[in-house]
Amino acid sequence: MSSTDVHALVGAYALDALDDLERAAFERHMADCAACRTEAAELRETAARMADSTWSVPPPRLRTEVMAAIGRTRQVSPAEPGAPQGPARPARWRRYSLAAAAALVLAAGTGATVYAVQDQRVRDERAIVAAAQRYEARVQDILSAPDVVVRTSPMRGGGKVTVASSASRNAGVVLLGADRPPAPDQAFQLWTVRGTTPTSAGVLAAGEGSAVHIVDGLPGNSGLGVTLEPAGGSATPTQPLVAQVPLV
Amino acid sequence: MTEHGAARRPDHLSAVPPPPTDVGDLLRATARGDETAFGRLYDLVAPRVYGLIRRVLRDPAQAEEVAQEVLVEVWRTAARFDASRGSATAWVFTIAHRRAVDRVRAEQAAADRTMKVGVASVDTPYDEVVDEVSGRLERQQVRRCMDDLTELQRQAVTLAYYQGHSYREVADLLGTPLPTVKTRMRDGLIRLRDCLGVEVTA
Repeated sequence: MSSTDVHALVGAYALDALDDLERAAFERHMADCAACRTEAAELRETAARMADSTWSVPPPRLRTEVMAAIGRTRQVSPAEPGAPQGPARPARWRRYSLAAAAALVLAAGTGATVYAVQDQRVRDERAIVAAAQRYEARVQDILSAPDVVVRTSPMRGGGKVTVASSASRNAGVVLLGADRPPAPDQAFQLWTVRGTTPTSAGVLAAGEGSAVHIVDGLPGNSGLGVTLEPAGGSATPTQPLVAQVPLV
Repeated sequence: MTEHGAARRPDHLSAVPPPPTDVGDLLRATARGDETAFGRLYDLVAPRVYGLIRRVLRDPAQAEEVAQEVLVEVWRTAARFDASRGSATAWVFTIAHRRAVDRVRAEQAAADRTMKVGVASVDTPYDEVVDEVSGRLERQQVRRCMDDLTELQRQAVTLAYYQGHSYREVADLLGTPLPTVKTRMRDGLIRLRDCLGVEVTA
């Protein structure tokens, strides 16, 4: 790789989007280039700010476990000889470098074929990404609606269901997070309740314990229920309810 | 040592300065083996460390495990933090992000990750809606700045950072040539840097 090529990787480097081989090449390049070190540091700093928007309260036991673990973890001194610098992973690098070098040589000869085989898979993935992004945009739209009302209910067996409902969007977002996923042959099913009539509002994948689900027309209902059903869901809810969130 | 003297000062002389709440100060104290400082550092960074890892891995149990590894690693290697190469916060999140990316690449195929993309919303928007308090302004600033990127810049940067995709995978997913993706990642981050006013004073 020429020096210009390597330098163009600075963004991908800051985002951890390089493989081990490229990262090593970039770090070698940085060693001789002060301007690159500064740019890489700034872009890393910028990337780290993206963590600001991922705030999520960890379970309290994490603190207990971490504090216990540091009690038995010896700290490194600043200039420990032979110690890897920063978050480098030398063992993994050694393990992969030979294979990676071999793969590069192979790829030179077979690139076209591999591309043809992957083409369909890539198209499928692209469609999935596009659909997922549209879905996420709708979720964001409902959650940021000015009239959103958020209600939460614990789940039988641990976890919680949060329902964010917006009359102006005539839709709601159900955020389901069970502490334990259901058995592989069972699935959570969502129900909207209008009066006394439950209507299925979607079935999670079998064994899936967490999901984000948009329910259209949710604000017109009196409640949202969650049940545990055989994989694929049922026509009527199986009692008892795993969770129930009143909407009025 | 001054810290030692201060700690022993009797209570009635309560002019003891408030304990540091700066991540850098806490990290430096942590490097000297100060477990109390580390505890406070934990309280400041753990929600973002856990949130970031959970966002990349989309699996609360795995995220908890990796978050624990990362936070213990912060304790273990605190002495290696070098303020001339960036902020303490960035140092912590760099460790967290790289560990999360390592784990996600080792365990989940790219396609699985994109399938699970919706689950990302389990944490973030929920917190945003429910928690009106901590860091809300910062989050809004990042989001506002993300909106200033071009569509391709934003997708390239977020697919890599929040989903742990390599730039090759990003190029595949977006149907965009590799050199373009490299460039968009770089100029997207540069625009974000300028919008957020990020500086590193070496």
